[in-house]
Amino acid sequence: MIQAHSLAKTYGPKRAVDGVTFTVQPGKVTGFLGPNGAGKSTTLRMAMGLDRPTSGTITVNGKALAGHRAPLREVGALLEAKSVHKSRTARAHLLALASTHGIGRARVDEVIGITGLGTVAGRKVGGFSLGMGQRLGIAAALLGDPQTLILDEPVNGLDPEGVLWVRNLARGLAAEGRTVFLSSHLMSEMAQTADHLIVIGRGSILADAPIAEILAARNRIRTLVRTEQPAELMNALAAPGVTLTRLDAETFEVLGADARTIARRALERQVLLHELTPLQASLEEAYLELTKDDVEYQSSVGAVPGAGKQA
Amino acid sequence: MATQQTAAQLRHDDGRYGDGRSGGGHVTFGRVLRSEIIKFRSLLSTLVLVLATVAVLVGFGALGAWGVGSALEATGPEAFMAEGGPDRIANTLAGSGVTFAQLIIGSLAVLVISSEFATGSARSTFAAVPKRYPVFLAKVLLVAVVSFVVSAGSMLLTAMVINPIVEHYGLEQDTGSGDFQRMLWIGSLYVTAVALSGFALGALLRNSAGAIVSLAGLFFVLPVACQLIPGEFVADLRRFLPSEAASQLITGSTGPETLELWQSWVVLGAWVVVPLALAGTVLQRRDV
Repeated sequence: MIQAHSLAKTYGPKRAVDGVTFTVQPGKVTGFLGPNGAGKSTTLRMAMGLDRPTSGTITVNGKALAGHRAPLREVGALLEAKSVHKSRTARAHLLALASTHGIGRARVDEVIGITGLGTVAGRKVGGFSLGMGQRLGIAAALLGDPQTLILDEPVNGLDPEGVLWVRNLARGLAAEGRTVFLSSHLMSEMAQTADHLIVIGRGSILADAPIAEILAARNRIRTLVRTEQPAELMNALAAPGVTLTRLDAETFEVLGADARTIARRALERQVLLHELTPLQASLEEAYLELTKDDVEYQSSVGAVPGAGKQA
Repeated sequence: MATQQTAAQLRHDDGRYGDGRSGGGHVTFGRVLRSEIIKFRSLLSTLVLVLATVAVLVGFGALGAWGVGSALEATGPEAFMAEGGPDRIANTLAGSGVTFAQLIIGSLAVLVISSEFATGSARSTFAAVPKRYPVFLAKVLLVAVVSFVVSAGSMLLTAMVINPIVEHYGLEQDTGSGDFQRMLWIGSLYVTAVALSGFALGALLRNSAGAIVSLAGLFFVLPVACQLIPGEFVADLRRFLPSEAASQLITGSTGPETLELWQSWVVLGAWVVVPLALAGTVLQRRDV
């Protein structure tokens, strides 16, 4: 379990993390989602005791990490791929980390096996591809068989097989009752892996809810309606919370009323509808809507949906 | 695969997860030291720099023996009377290369910490040991032991290697003499002090090149510069340089121009303790 309370980090005049409070529960995969520069990595570094919070606290399994006697067994983290000396072999790196906790060679070989690094473990890390570096980082995170896993952008640089592997690994670890905290700037990745989402933008929490709830709340029901009696339709639907956007002479997008309500009101006013289509917004759209005011580096031709996910 | 294991196998009675599969226990200083030794040994640069130190000490020792021997043949023993006579010189020849060896060992010491930051491995290191100071202390101990053992061992090796040369010129090298013993032990302590200062610089600057250049400036360039620049202030300053303190301790004599011996020990100690204390404090507080 990871708990942040009024956690803030300031670099000079810039507030990278602005007083966030959240809890990451065990037994599920929690996605930590936000645009680049939103404060995800800073938050995770504070959880690992690498950065000192300017104010507030973040604890892992009830204590600041430095308060634990066996930190590697509490939390394993992949913070940045290749947090490794380039001239050291993968096995030596893992062995050195394992030794701090008296973890033996057998476990080192085991995590090498789990992450599929068997054939390259004796090679210097400097020659590793980004994907191999990610696997080594995940191997290091698993060393202590920790209750909590923090994975910062774990699928970066992985091939499709690797992405699937990370997804299954994360889900499997959560199914064992562990806390899995997974950051990404890719909504699509979250949609497939996470049970719960914490969305961060410009250092503040924008949403903290089960993934289905975020969809429902953000994705207020939109319906496409076509009619030859636009004026009558507008009268029929006029109600608080209902907005009509006129797309062309006879097409509207209705926000705030579902298809059943629209059909009933149209029937009451004798308005003929010749199209009535509920529009399901994707998680991607919900994410873009959530963060649209909070992306730090917005493209100037940013009107293209989905542009925000490219980084 | 990990995903195939069931929760029941892993969970302890208290409901927490732990060393069911990983084995091992909590962090101890001994374990952190072991980890640092693995890291130290698993880099080729370590071996290269240690061998270079040995080569430099032996090489300069041999060169010195040959130089002193030839000069003795050319001019006779009178030229060496100022330094206490040719035999006293012969007793300190094994330490001829210390000025250069200190820079190599010092660079190794810098790299022990600066490379952690340069490569990002500091993140792995300090995430595993978030208390940080055990890592710092383990590295200090490792650097100190390695520097001392390598320099003392190399000087003993040098004494053996140059003995035939010394004897060839009719000189005698007495390894039991006070001159030899002071050079061996105080010389090795001095190299250790340089290495620890270098380590502290590496921890403070977190940049290998910057720390090595600063170290060379302090321990190599500054003493020479102080010799060249005239003036009483510079002469005063010079006595507080670690190299001066060490060479005074090695000769073991005091004069009107020099510090007392105990003062020289304090100077040498301060060059180790102050930078280390500063580096330890900064490492404990600063973001990794």
